[in-house]
Amino acid sequence: MRRERLFLALQMTPIMVVLFLLFGGALVLAIVQSLGYAPWFGVNTFPDLSYFRALWSSPSFWQSLGLTMYYATVSTFLALVGGILLALALIKTFPGKTLYKYLYKLPLMIPYTVGIALAVLMLGNGGVLSRFAALFGLIDDPGQFPQILKTHYGWGIIAVYVWKQLPFITLAIYAVLLGIGRETEEAAAILGAKRRTIFFRVTLPQILPGIVSSTLICFAFNVGAFEAPFILGGGFPDTLPVVAWRYFNDADYTLQLQGMATVVSIGLIAGVILFGYLAAYRRFEKRMGRN
Amino acid sequence: MTQVQLRSISKRFGGFTAIENIDLDIRSGELVALLGPSGCGKTTTLRMIAGLENPTTGEIHFDDRDVSDLRVQDRNVGMVFQRYALFPHMTVEKNIAFGLSVRGTPRSEISDRLDEIIDVVQLGPFRQRFPAQLSGGQMQRVAIARTLITKPSVLMMDEPLANLDTKLRGEMRRFIRTLQQRLGITTIFVTHDQVEAMELADRIAVIFNGHLAQFGPPEDLYRQPVSVDVADFMGASNIFPGTMTGTDAVKTGFGTLSVVAQPGMADGSRVHAMLRNEGIDIHPANVEGGDDMVAGRIAARDFFGATVNYVVECGAERIIVNEQSRRLLDVGMEVRLDIPAERVWLMAG
Repeated sequence: MRRERLFLALQMTPIMVVLFLLFGGALVLAIVQSLGYAPWFGVNTFPDLSYFRALWSSPSFWQSLGLTMYYATVSTFLALVGGILLALALIKTFPGKTLYKYLYKLPLMIPYTVGIALAVLMLGNGGVLSRFAALFGLIDDPGQFPQILKTHYGWGIIAVYVWKQLPFITLAIYAVLLGIGRETEEAAAILGAKRRTIFFRVTLPQILPGIVSSTLICFAFNVGAFEAPFILGGGFPDTLPVVAWRYFNDADYTLQLQGMATVVSIGLIAGVILFGYLAAYRRFEKRMGRN
Repeated sequence: MTQVQLRSISKRFGGFTAIENIDLDIRSGELVALLGPSGCGKTTTLRMIAGLENPTTGEIHFDDRDVSDLRVQDRNVGMVFQRYALFPHMTVEKNIAFGLSVRGTPRSEISDRLDEIIDVVQLGPFRQRFPAQLSGGQMQRVAIARTLITKPSVLMMDEPLANLDTKLRGEMRRFIRTLQQRLGITTIFVTHDQVEAMELADRIAVIFNGHLAQFGPPEDLYRQPVSVDVADFMGASNIFPGTMTGTDAVKTGFGTLSVVAQPGMADGSRVHAMLRNEGIDIHPANVEGGDDMVAGRIAARDFFGATVNYVVECGAERIIVNEQSRRLLDVGMEVRLDIPAERVWLMAG
């Protein structure tokens, strides 16, 4: 029995090391720095809430937060809608399905930075789309192409997130759909339900676990993502991760503490939102009789 | 009550033919079993009647009305699935009321009909439970109630007892038969279990490889199968190839058997003679008998409790005899088998 426990502890060691030492250690360091403890930069005013106070009392923080939430929410929502539609289509039989099942997963294997580069190449004012638009006479000059990148609407950022995350969400929902099969939908149709009713009253509640887990991961990533808003964003106000990066990149090392307060704020806000989301989902699950 | 007619129905999936040219007339209020081995096309047939699959060719009629192109929602049929297909996120009550609710039935009527059907299927104490909190038999009852509450013109069941244990299966068979007779609803039942089909059905359609092999009352299929395949599928039997000698005798590997003359079985024609295991009487060799007696020796004995099987060697052939286990004969004993002419059924060779 003791040997078994010891063996189990050994098996758990790799994840525990990563979780507690690397992630947990970094988290503790970030928190203590955001509270004024950084003797290696010659700062030690711990415990000191002034960095948070300065951050939260600045209107630009709330603008950045709004922008971060906007990009994260809109892209997660669009990827979710697309993912559900694609998963529902993939569950059906159609010619070329096998090929399509491989094709849609392609963005999962391509890094974000490549996606960002593709967005610049395709969607920029000198990009492929603008040149084609000019070639076909839709606009006189590629420069007249509507600005998609580097605006606060964030179409480029959203496009990259959706491009990358739609296959991920599709994969999660498709797996759930495969698990539940078609029988409940067929039963509902035989009982007289139309397609819309079948989707909202029968399919959606059953694929909810897949929706919740995949959107949770995508939303959390989008809130904390740095590269896409940094390269494709419209400048001030930036998203919170970009704001944090600017603090970290400043020649004044003491601003690192302000950066840590920003990072901890992102973590806190994302944590509260995701906790609320999960709690609401758990309540729903309990109402549905699932524990 | 609704008549169901299949007119030259075929179904192909790409290059695979699941159903080939099936004609079937199901009378109103009748319980018909579609019987056959796995993959024979019985579920596909059921799904076409329900509207879940479209026939490649042929027509489906309900009371002489062609419903082949009618959407599944508009056919007013009910279906109980093999794995019940209950909505896991809805309570028993909501599962059962689903059909009425999507059809826009007034709440007061839903409530009345819900009480009525829950009473019929005896699920009163389980109204607020979720499917995951029910036993297999209870889930089965919910599935039946959910279907019956909409008052379908045809009730279809796709191997509904396959996931139940033996005891519960027996109870549910009786429950389904009683309910079907009480409501008088036309019912089509898919099964691969011939005992289940014979116990439940008014008539049985035996399907092999997408073809309708035989359609008739259970006793006809059991006693007068049209082919060796049907004979074999409908129950344990001894089937021997033979040659007709005249019209009332067949020469087999263990001797000549007297038979009742059957149409189309002329002198010299190749036939298969079927003897059901329980249709043969076995006697110790010292018992005097008539001309129909065949001599043999008991090579093996399988005791099943209520009945016993003897494997009797008769020359080069082995004949299995089943009888009540009130007495037991010993292995190695010399015996005589009494095979009356009327218990031998001939099929074209």
